[in-house]
Amino acid sequence: MKHKKDRIIEKFLLLLLLIFALIIPLIIGSNQYNVLLVTTVLLYGVMATSWNIIGGLAGQLDLASFAYLGLGAFTSGTLFIRYNFSPWIGMVIGGLVAVGFALLIGIPLFRFRIREVWYALTTCALVEILKVVFTMWEEVGGPVERYLPYYRGSLYHMRFGSYIPYYYLILGLLLIVLLVNYRITKTKLGYYLKALGEDEIAAEALGVNTRVCKLRALVYYSFLIGVAGGIYANMYGYVHPSFFNGQESIKVAILGIVGGRGIAYGPLLAALLLVGIQEFLRASIGGEVSGLYLVIYSVILILVVLFRPKGIATIFQGIYQKLIRREVKKEDV
Amino acid sequence: MLGKKFNLCFVGKFSIIVLASLLIFSSAVLAEKLPEKIIVGCLEPLTGAHAVFGTEAKIGMELAVQHINESGGIQSLGNIPLELVTEDVGETAMSARLAAESLISKHHPVAILGLYISRLTTAASEITERERVILVADALVDSVTEMGRQYLFRPAPKASMHGRSAVEFVLEAAEKAGVSIEKIAILNEDSSFGRSNAIGAVQAALDNGLTIVYQKEYPYDITDASSIVHGIATAKSDFVVHCPYFMDAIIFAKTFKELGKIPKFISGMGACGYTDPESIKSLGEISEHYSNTYSYNPAKNTPQNNKFVEEYAAKVGHIPTEAAGMNYYGMWILKEALELSGNLSPDDPLNPDNLRKAFLALDLTSGPAVETFPVNRVTFDGKGDNPYARATIIQVINGESKVVWPFEDAETECVFPRLDATY
Repeated sequence: MKHKKDRIIEKFLLLLLLIFALIIPLIIGSNQYNVLLVTTVLLYGVMATSWNIIGGLAGQLDLASFAYLGLGAFTSGTLFIRYNFSPWIGMVIGGLVAVGFALLIGIPLFRFRIREVWYALTTCALVEILKVVFTMWEEVGGPVERYLPYYRGSLYHMRFGSYIPYYYLILGLLLIVLLVNYRITKTKLGYYLKALGEDEIAAEALGVNTRVCKLRALVYYSFLIGVAGGIYANMYGYVHPSFFNGQESIKVAILGIVGGRGIAYGPLLAALLLVGIQEFLRASIGGEVSGLYLVIYSVILILVVLFRPKGIATIFQGIYQKLIRREVKKEDV
Repeated sequence: MLGKKFNLCFVGKFSIIVLASLLIFSSAVLAEKLPEKIIVGCLEPLTGAHAVFGTEAKIGMELAVQHINESGGIQSLGNIPLELVTEDVGETAMSARLAAESLISKHHPVAILGLYISRLTTAASEITERERVILVADALVDSVTEMGRQYLFRPAPKASMHGRSAVEFVLEAAEKAGVSIEKIAILNEDSSFGRSNAIGAVQAALDNGLTIVYQKEYPYDITDASSIVHGIATAKSDFVVHCPYFMDAIIFAKTFKELGKIPKFISGMGACGYTDPESIKSLGEISEHYSNTYSYNPAKNTPQNNKFVEEYAAKVGHIPTEAAGMNYYGMWILKEALELSGNLSPDDPLNPDNLRKAFLALDLTSGPAVETFPVNRVTFDGKGDNPYARATIIQVINGESKVVWPFEDAETECVFPRLDATY
């Protein structure tokens, strides 16, 4: 049981972090690169934290995050381009379309007990299939970029001349994603997911309906990423089948794993550190020696996996627990 | 009287001092405005699937900057040299945007060259527009200059022009050889680049009264081309114009050969596949007499082009590729625009709007930029395209890529029709 004092400290720290996140754009706002960088890091944070529901808690190695992002982007973008539909509604519909597709795929996959590496391969193929479908589907996609109408500074159209509003949008979505993660871990579903994530057969033997649990996790995950897709389309101002990106999907899964599977804030930490480091290396040496930054990034990734196989989050957990123990000892004395 | 005279002298002296001070002050201000070096950005994909093109483009730019600085820099601005700063744009719109923002915020370049891929150009050009930085683009998809960008210029022939050039070359070659050509088949891989090429070919075919008997857009990762080759043969097409990527070009060439259904001519468009060193190596003898369009003419016999080809070959080990050539002349065109801006707007030549005006006022018919450009005229229309740009044609003859069209700039005579044509 946590002490009352610990809870107060926790809440205070969270409040500090939130205030810090809220004022970052005001500090660095004059430099658009810095704002874009933190926005991009947060976007990866949203995706990796959403992935944590299916990949971390439910233990399914899902590699289709950019399939759901692309579906959300295309839905929101197409509704905007064709019917002048506000992306605020479009992104929610995009989330629902992503859910519909996830169910379409998830029901047979879980019904026929496709797991582990087979599940990973299937979801990986989904991204590529959607890319081909949207390249051939001329009414919505096609090989040529489809530009979103440009309304400078229009709140209704979610089109802004600066990255700062997008930063706050993605920050808002990130808070929702973190909250969903946190809430799930506190519910029966969370315990079921943890159980099946650790040993699916054992969970089934104990009476957990693993199929329904995995489907529910898939629904949360796909919806949140689908919504992020709507923001993504507006931020970049166009939609294109290249949004269905298999490599980026793998990157999201890596962030989820390296961050710490099942720990709500782990993937966010990984996004902050790894995406930040990768971009720092790219910007500083990427133009001089081609590809060197990717080598260094990979070495860092290997080191993290070697020395912290349970994720970066465990470093912070360890430090925090040590501090708490010290406090408890003091109180006992 | 004397006092009056003294007063006049004083006013005169005072005026002279004020004028001189103003002159010194204004020249100091102007000197402050002109930096010691003009920063030019290079944004190219240096990692990922398109890294090979990006790296070649970067080398082309580096050589151009070196040659420009050796020739005295920007003379109208007091011989200011150029300095190239590079960032890798990666493969995604996200990384392209980050690279553009990073480069602009850190280095404040006067202009940026590159991006190569149309979707990366789309993503980054929104930033160059916002920051009013000139972007000399080397992405050829037509839509790049149809986004209404004010500060974007593309000297190289756009993709549809490649398609048109492929058709026009075949028609001229057929006329020269006395071969009758009436029916055409058009193929393209399913990217925006492939489609833009095909649109140009269709338009050229219609303009020249040809009958399009077969047209197909196929996925670039196609593994079996036999049904398409059969379709072309059944339609009895006289010749094929084809915009492939790399692997699909190899598959098509092998299928034509294996099925023994070879039309009078097969012309590539878009510079990918058939005639590049890797494709020639993979295809061996099968690559013989295939042709492709090119945005750069390595065989153009001018002092500047010869110098570039020689130094590039010494550095890299082969003659300049399209990406290198496009960026070499792109940098020289930027140099000419800077010179003109120095003359047209001496007060503030590096102001983006003044530089844009200079770009729009450019009409080059001689000089290093033209000497390395496929045609002898460089100018820009309101959209940022060069209306005079034309592609050159390269054909594989005896295992080597040779420039065969335009006939006046050809390295050697083209082989037309194909010697192994079966119908």
